[in-house]
Amino acid sequence: MKGNAQRGHELAFGSFGIKSLQTKWITGRQIEAARIAVTRYMQRQGQIWIRIFPDKPITKKPAEVRMGKGKGSPEGFVAPVTPGRMLIECDGVPYDVAKEALRLAAQKLPVTTKFVVRRDFVESSNE
Amino acid sequence: MQTIELKASRRDNLGKTATKQLRREGRVPCVIYGGKETIHASALLKDFNKLVYTPKVHLVNLNVDGKKYNVVIQDIQYHPVSDDAIHVDFLQVFDDKPITMEIPVKLKGLAAGVKAGGKLSLEKRKLKVKGLAKDMPDTLEVDITNLGLGKGIQVGQLNFDNLELLNNKNQVVVSVKLTRGARAAGQTGEEEGEE
Repeated sequence: MKGNAQRGHELAFGSFGIKSLQTKWITGRQIEAARIAVTRYMQRQGQIWIRIFPDKPITKKPAEVRMGKGKGSPEGFVAPVTPGRMLIECDGVPYDVAKEALRLAAQKLPVTTKFVVRRDFVESSNE
Repeated sequence: MQTIELKASRRDNLGKTATKQLRREGRVPCVIYGGKETIHASALLKDFNKLVYTPKVHLVNLNVDGKKYNVVIQDIQYHPVSDDAIHVDFLQVFDDKPITMEIPVKLKGLAAGVKAGGKLSLEKRKLKVKGLAKDMPDTLEVDITNLGLGKGIQVGQLNFDNLELLNNKNQVVVSVKLTRGARAAGQTGEEEGEE
């Protein structure tokens, strides 16, 4: 995967989000772990949006198997991400809560991320 | 609507190399159109930030090498990673020519539904309106005092002087949603009533 994200790099739903700064495959398990981390910290307040979906099947050969003898069996699904790609968005919680929740989510992901806030965000407008 | 002064300088080299050089110098290439001629200019990125990082919309008094233009921001392109503005489109404004802008919605009052335990949800932060620049307000005030639990206000229900709303009439601008607590309280109330 070459270059930066050409789409999906803006906040589309929430006021806060994290975007990837690296190119990598993110597995379905990692996305689910990040989602749980955000939900737990936000204590079911507000709303979150997962902006990536693992729709690319990945195969893997079993451990201690010699090369050859055909392709490995499907192991799971990944979402390929490029720099700039918005990963998770959230809204309906104060700035500090969102920042910490998304920091915890970022720790579950294999990429370095950046916390972003909606450009016209004002703390008092947070309904 | 508030007016902001912005200084820009004309640019003659329009190619990729010259534009990249401009961005390296901390400037943003921009284009002004809608008038008799199209003008290519560039302005400092830090000057743009006061226009971009605000909930308000502004009229811009753009000073291009001494010549002044009344403009509004039509479009901004951002870098996918750094989120800096990489190009800005300005639309020249005339007194007799209507323009289309996105104006922020401001809620007025405390909704009756919120008092009853509902949660206020602003679905559309900005509405697309068409009108003359002199008629453009800072914000579109929406009175929500009578908004009950589970009710919403649609674009079709709103009316502003000298402005035409371009959003779909069925789109919900603001609504009061039932919270889990309010729903549970309502259900227990109904059950008690039945007994």
